[in-house]
Amino acid sequence: MYRIVIDHSLCSGFGDCADLAPEVFELESEGRAFLRAGESDDPAVLDAAAACPMGAISVVQVEAA
Amino acid sequence: MKDPTFWLLARASGLTAYVLLTLSVLAGLAVKSRPFGRAVKAASATDTHRFLSLLALGAIALHAITLVLDQTVHIGLAALLIPGVASYRPFATGLGVFAAELGALIIVSFPLRKRIGVRAWRRLHFTTYAVFATATAHGLAAGTDTHRLWAFGLYLGAVFAVAAATAWRALNRPIPTKGVTRVPDRDRPLPV
Repeated sequence: MYRIVIDHSLCSGFGDCADLAPEVFELESEGRAFLRAGESDDPAVLDAAAACPMGAISVVQVEAA
Repeated sequence: MKDPTFWLLARASGLTAYVLLTLSVLAGLAVKSRPFGRAVKAASATDTHRFLSLLALGAIALHAITLVLDQTVHIGLAALLIPGVASYRPFATGLGVFAAELGALIIVSFPLRKRIGVRAWRRLHFTTYAVFATATAHGLAAGTDTHRLWAFGLYLGAVFAVAAATAWRALNRPIPTKGVTRVPDRDRPLPV
């Protein structure tokens, strides 16, 4: 299980996260990314974090509850 | 006869730095405009851009060091840091010093982007165009090989490529994300 945090002070709305893990990330009309879910099992969140040009996404692995 | 090794290295590393700077700018523009669509992974464009920027900085460092070690033109340590101090083509070499220092500042600003603020960081990042323009002017004015067709063609090609990539970036909206519904802004709690 991964816990995801977006640093909104860094997000510039590139949208790669929503492209790579649409179940977890979405873009608002202003172009900022928001989380649909704060936790996910989908390893695509790791790709999304790596793809963020601003380094605004943090992912930590946590024990499933 | 003086050993031309450092002189040749200085010229080669200067041209290499310019090519790397050009490629870095092109990769940076490709991060958002995605000219290769989904063929290039989003993370790859960002990584390539950062890697090329660091390589360019390394080539500039080599360019500077070899110019100090070389005996053909006399460039001291002060001339490397202060634009216009060099006795050899002071204005043209000063342009190079300015471009290198501004370029280094832009690279250093990335890890500090949160402290600086993203808006200010983006403004600073846009000055990369000044770095590119100044580096081009420096190469054309100070470069020993400028009069050669291949070198002039290189500068011309670089300027054309950056202009074309900038136009592409400005005119084409980023490719839409798949499977994503853009929702209207609304108040929602920040994720914990």
